[in-house]
Amino acid sequence: MNEKKGNAFTNNPIVKAIGLQKIVVVLVIVLLAAFFSIMSPAFRQYSTLVSLFDYSYYITFMAIGVTFCLITGGNDLSVGTGMVCYSLFGGYLIVHMGLPVGVGMIATILLGMVIGLLNAFLVAVWDLPPFIATLGTMMMTRGLGSILTGGLSIAWPATAVPQGWFRSIFKYKTLNSAGKPLMIPVGFILVLICIIVMSIFLNKSKPGRYIIAIGSNKEATRLSGINVVKYQGLAYLISGFFAGLAGIAYAATFQSIAPGTGAGLELDAIAGAIIGGTSMTGGVGTITGTLLGVFVMSLLKTGLPYIGLQANWQQIITGIVLIVAIFIDVLKNKKTA
Amino acid sequence: MTKKVLSVALVAAMVGSMTCAVSAADYAGMKIEIVSKGFQHQYWQAVKKGAEEKAEELGCTINFVGPNSESDYADQVQMLNAAINSEPSAIGLAALSTETCLDSIKDAQSKNIPIIGFDSGVPGAPEGAIVANAATDNYAAGELAAEKGYEAIKDKIDAAEAPVRIGVLAQDAVSESVMNRGLGFIDKMAELTGGVKLEGNDAYVNGATCENKDDAKVIIETLVPSQVTSELSAIDCQTLLNKDDIICIYGSNQHSAEAMVTGDENYGRLGNDVVGIGFDSGAVTKAAVASGQFLGAITQAPVAMGAKVVELACAAAAGETVEDVDTGCQWYTAENMEDPEIAQNLYD
Repeated sequence: MNEKKGNAFTNNPIVKAIGLQKIVVVLVIVLLAAFFSIMSPAFRQYSTLVSLFDYSYYITFMAIGVTFCLITGGNDLSVGTGMVCYSLFGGYLIVHMGLPVGVGMIATILLGMVIGLLNAFLVAVWDLPPFIATLGTMMMTRGLGSILTGGLSIAWPATAVPQGWFRSIFKYKTLNSAGKPLMIPVGFILVLICIIVMSIFLNKSKPGRYIIAIGSNKEATRLSGINVVKYQGLAYLISGFFAGLAGIAYAATFQSIAPGTGAGLELDAIAGAIIGGTSMTGGVGTITGTLLGVFVMSLLKTGLPYIGLQANWQQIITGIVLIVAIFIDVLKNKKTA
Repeated sequence: MTKKVLSVALVAAMVGSMTCAVSAADYAGMKIEIVSKGFQHQYWQAVKKGAEEKAEELGCTINFVGPNSESDYADQVQMLNAAINSEPSAIGLAALSTETCLDSIKDAQSKNIPIIGFDSGVPGAPEGAIVANAATDNYAAGELAAEKGYEAIKDKIDAAEAPVRIGVLAQDAVSESVMNRGLGFIDKMAELTGGVKLEGNDAYVNGATCENKDDAKVIIETLVPSQVTSELSAIDCQTLLNKDDIICIYGSNQHSAEAMVTGDENYGRLGNDVVGIGFDSGAVTKAAVASGQFLGAITQAPVAMGAKVVELACAAAAGETVEDVDTGCQWYTAENMEDPEIAQNLYD
């Protein structure tokens, strides 16, 4: 009886169009938001929402890039330490070399693409296992960040100085009718643009379709005459680009960036993508799903401290959510098989 | 007459230069290995600067190393082992964790290489292994922060009808320095306010020597993130800022102080209805103090600390008796941060 009901639900054309996983994730988001709001009056405030957005941008950008690598059946572990490294590099050019912020921002993205290209070579051309190759570049970027800045932590220009305009890309500060400061999380617009563009790219463009095809069956894709090396590599280049963009968002959100940090942040991005329905084995995944998945991670990170839960419990709960998300993925695959 | 004066002066100069030469010669050519906690915070750059200047003055060579981040315990042990294997005259050590360094420390002891502790030192090391420490008395530094903070919130506490809340943001509950800065603050605040109720991280609640009074007028809540990331510490700060009864927040190192600035971005309460107190400097904290967002902050004396480590290490290697040195701390505010005596310890 239940099974039939489930089938009727999953066979519903609307459910099919949106995808079961995404509906589940949206439900989880609604439930979590409701739960935190009931448990903590402070969570319901506007400033909490702004903070939630603030801290989700850099993870979202990393996650968009990583989604491409995951869809090819690979992975990119270098985005976390990479993001910090690129951001340190860009910040160093601005703060210590006196270059304009715009140049620093471009340099941040360019360095991301250079490391992305390196990953592409290692994985696509030289056929190294993605996990190992990007583990290597993860370690390299961690050290490189320290070397580039001479071990110094870097503070990108603060909001108050003219050079701090770049922070307004993510958060616009103005005054409300009562003359009090009002923060508008405009960064979300940039995130949405990236999500839409990359969704169309993944699902409607030839390169995007090839990337999905590689993840489904690399050999069959190769045999059908598609340049597998080129498109597999492209996924890592895209990941590098978005890690660079994440570096800018990170610099805009936090006061200073310390070298040697960033390890572990890539796991937030990967977890976001997985919760959003991207398969670790490749061939399946959507950019919108990733956005939703990251939102679950951000909600947990922001919400759990508000209900007075101690730090270690926060990690345990986040871990459980991740396992449940993958469990759903496994169940789904079993059913289709 | 002038001749006599001249000759006396000459003799004095000669004697002077001889004694100088003797003491410098004592230490010249010595090789000191210094294992720090890393270079993430500019604080360590200032320690390194002090050490390098002193080494040049004394004519010895130093090798200043540190792990990538302050949670890389294993890497630090590797560095310490490498330092011991290079057979230095002495070692300076700021241990991330005494337990993990213990075997290496014993190894150095058996090879008669004296170890000088610095920064938070090497608490709990075996008797005699650490010949002297050049360290900030972190507990006293925390107490100083509480005293200065109390002056600013005293009236609010007296006037309050319901209990008020003071927040402590700590990077961790492991490192001796961060722990003691928190505990010193909590104990002193308890003493000044006539009793507090403790909430938050268990290590701090149980570690404080003051009594945990349920009906106290002041609540001290200590928050420690599950991972040392800017985001999690900023969220900790925000959970405090979201509470109506919060009147003061104290961040006990550069990381936590900067997280306060990030956390307050969407609130704008620090420096208005909530008193902010920082620790250490760095561009962000200095700007927060200068703008009045922070009431003030505590600075240690990293340059002097670096110099002291080298001096103690050389003296110990030469077989002289050495003693612990408190390298001190200062309270700085927008008014006094330009004073040369304080400015020398503030770094970007």
